[in-house]
Amino acid sequence: MTTLLNETLKESIYMPTPARITAVKTFTPTEKFFKIALPSGFSLAHRPGQFVEVSVFGVGEAPISICSAPSRSNGTFEMCVRAVGKLTDALHRLAAGSTIAIRGPFGRGFPIERFRGKDIIFVAGGLGLAPLRSLIDEVINDRGKFGRIHLLYGTRTPQDILFAEDLVAWANAPRTEVHITVDRPDEAWKGNVGVITKLFPKLRFHARNTVAIIVGPPVMYKFVLMELLGKGIADGNIWLSFERQMKCAVGKCGHCQLHHIYTCQDGPAFSYAQVKHLEEAFS
Amino acid sequence: MSLRIMPKSLLKTWIKHLQSRHFKVVGPTERFGQYVFEEIHSADELVMDYPTSVLPPKKYLLPPRERLFTFNAKTMEMQPDIQAVPTVILGVHTCDMHAVAMLDKVNNTGYADQHYKARREATYLVSVECLTPCMEGSFCKSMGTLTVPENYDLHFTDLGSDYAVEVGSEKGAALLEGCSAFWEPSEADYARVDAVIGAKWQHFPYRLECDVTELPDLLALSQKSPLWDELGERCLACGMCTKVCPTCYCFDVTDEIDLNLEHGERIRQWDSCQIEKFAVVAGGHNFRSSRALRQRHRFMRKGKYQYEAFGLMGCVGCGRCAASCLVHITPVDTFNALHRLRQAAQNGSAAENTASNQEVQA
Amino acid sequence: MSAKTLPRIAFFEFTSCEGCQLTVVDTLQDHPELLNAVEIVQFREAMSERGDNYQIAFIEGSCTRPSDEAKLKEIRAKAQIVVALGACAHLGGVNAIRNRMALPEVREYVYGEKAAWFETYPARPIEAVIKVDASLPGCPIDRNEFAMAVTHLLQGRLPNLPDYPLCIECKLLENVCMYQRGKTCLGPITRAGCAAICPSYGDGCEGCRGLIPKPNWAAMKAVLREHGMTDAEIDSRLTMFLTYQTMQLEAKAAEG
Repeated sequence: MTTLLNETLKESIYMPTPARITAVKTFTPTEKFFKIALPSGFSLAHRPGQFVEVSVFGVGEAPISICSAPSRSNGTFEMCVRAVGKLTDALHRLAAGSTIAIRGPFGRGFPIERFRGKDIIFVAGGLGLAPLRSLIDEVINDRGKFGRIHLLYGTRTPQDILFAEDLVAWANAPRTEVHITVDRPDEAWKGNVGVITKLFPKLRFHARNTVAIIVGPPVMYKFVLMELLGKGIADGNIWLSFERQMKCAVGKCGHCQLHHIYTCQDGPAFSYAQVKHLEEAFS
Repeated sequence: MSLRIMPKSLLKTWIKHLQSRHFKVVGPTERFGQYVFEEIHSADELVMDYPTSVLPPKKYLLPPRERLFTFNAKTMEMQPDIQAVPTVILGVHTCDMHAVAMLDKVNNTGYADQHYKARREATYLVSVECLTPCMEGSFCKSMGTLTVPENYDLHFTDLGSDYAVEVGSEKGAALLEGCSAFWEPSEADYARVDAVIGAKWQHFPYRLECDVTELPDLLALSQKSPLWDELGERCLACGMCTKVCPTCYCFDVTDEIDLNLEHGERIRQWDSCQIEKFAVVAGGHNFRSSRALRQRHRFMRKGKYQYEAFGLMGCVGCGRCAASCLVHITPVDTFNALHRLRQAAQNGSAAENTASNQEVQA
Repeated sequence: MSAKTLPRIAFFEFTSCEGCQLTVVDTLQDHPELLNAVEIVQFREAMSERGDNYQIAFIEGSCTRPSDEAKLKEIRAKAQIVVALGACAHLGGVNAIRNRMALPEVREYVYGEKAAWFETYPARPIEAVIKVDASLPGCPIDRNEFAMAVTHLLQGRLPNLPDYPLCIECKLLENVCMYQRGKTCLGPITRAGCAAICPSYGDGCEGCRGLIPKPNWAAMKAVLREHGMTDAEIDSRLTMFLTYQTMQLEAKAAEG
């Protein structure tokens, strides 16, 4: 058994390894779920929060976050892909049995060992739930090592809710609360309505012993950060994941540069303490 | 390190000797009144005392357009394309040598770039001592790049009728092997080299109004400067400044495939942080949506970010961007303007403090 | 792939010199495999058969008279994908030069005493009349870009063409800047993708591929002025291919 990364680094850091799509599920009109099998003998050996570079030959390559937990990956991994560009559109046209190519995993994920013994607030906006799912499952799989868990999840409409089965399973896990809100409800929706920060009054936590992990669209960060900081959670206990354009994933192409940081290799997971002084971090 | 002397008349002999040993020999040649690094077929084409080149010699280490690997989209077979043609680059200015040090650092930090490494290892750098300023926009003396860094294989100094040739590495020594054009220096030769190098400094002006070591802090305090908006108004966003820069290394990656949708290649091409789409993410959000923000990013990289990330200045003072900018945005003017704004702000607050102290006393 | 499943493509021309379709014929000589990849059902420039069952329509030429509109709409109704071929279809092209003049005078200048026999109105890109899925810019189009566009269409996606400025492409080729050779050039505000063919042969860019998404108009004019052009010369330089686009921008600026 060798890691995919070892293979990636062998001849050219830019050359991927073929991998097979074994299952495709349509989540929403724009989001699909893919299960990928690596060639036999390979493991992904990723950390929650890391990403892979996915190739469809002839179309190109794009960074996609891994949405499955390391402890549930056995030569396979999962990703949830929104069709928003040439590569993701091409992925959406592929069916189970197709072959793609993968490099990675890349970047630094979330430091899960530092979350042990603490209460955790997960805040996910839209597709941000995908990279968080990898971490949430890892925490739930080792449930005894963590304190109380809150998951706040916001989407535009009820139809945009991703990972519906997982949300039910998480809500049923011990000492775990799941709160969902939508911007625009339909007639059938009986849950919360409004922006995600409206969910905060529902939470009871001890700020000194709480970590918060936020993943969502750029506009969400400022408001969620204000809530969390206002509740007294320390800068170093707030973690977030940055999305940037990436062409190489190995700190060379310059697209993801944020000050002296390359989001692809120094992130995409950062603590708020690491990035709060950086102009453009939340622009 | 050792010194050799080569009469200029024997440069031709040496180039022929290198070519007979199957080195690709490149150097500055004239093109429409400007100079470009190109393969030299005869020594007559070479212009060793050129002012500057359109593109820096970087193009041989990180080509403008490069195939990373070929693929077969049906069988999923892949073949990396790693080029290592032994190449001697003649006449590299000291600013560009500092830039190569930066490229070396970037490409060997984290996971090393094998494509770069292979080219770099096959490349022999023959630098040349700059004795007079090459153009108005250059400010190498201010940036500390007027002395060659220790990455040269051979370093030439023009002594009039001869070249002093310093051997900086085993690779450099290998270039001299079997060629009778190089002589042992006499005591007088050492003195000649010292005299030429000692005399050159007075010809180069300091053009920055602050010290190079102050740039990172100056820029840190200038994130919100109104100057960026002013540059954004003027900037054409044509990207030329980044194309001609010896330390810019950002690239884009694309696929090309034949009409049978079978055989293809993955290409990387120089990109520019000055163009609209450089920092756009899937979904359309642009992290640097205005020309002002993109100019700021460019100058921050040159004077602060790269220094913090790699310990080397992102600007080597070559002046190419200044010479090519149609709207006259230059690093010297930009850094000096920020420095003056900063001083004015400090003087202003000092004046205020004095005024309020006087009020208290009164 | 059997012959039956090949995508069926057709070529149409409106007001144009048909030079872009000639470039397509040229491309076929460079890439004969194109003929195995698509089925051409209508192409007046190269064949006499005419089929009306097509999926992809390539349209050359601009729309210059009211009666063109019905024909364009008919093509749109039949085609799944419409591609504007070249500067005339993409931008209105040189035909739009007249848009800044009084139409009756133009008509008289061109057709003399028979002017009344000819129908005409301000020239416009086909996108002003029908929805266009993709545009191949240039006067004429670039043959390699045409082959690339067809490749992208065969992959089931719309052509992905550069929209960054020409200067990028020109510098990658290490051309000496036109301005340093004492000439003027619209490269800084014009879309790349032509392999900088004009500067590579020593001529400044005329802007045939259209403007980049957010051109810095004022700065470009200041540069041209600095290099000795009068305002009248600048206007005429920007008129060659960019009349329709610049008039649109002016109208937008006037509105708000």
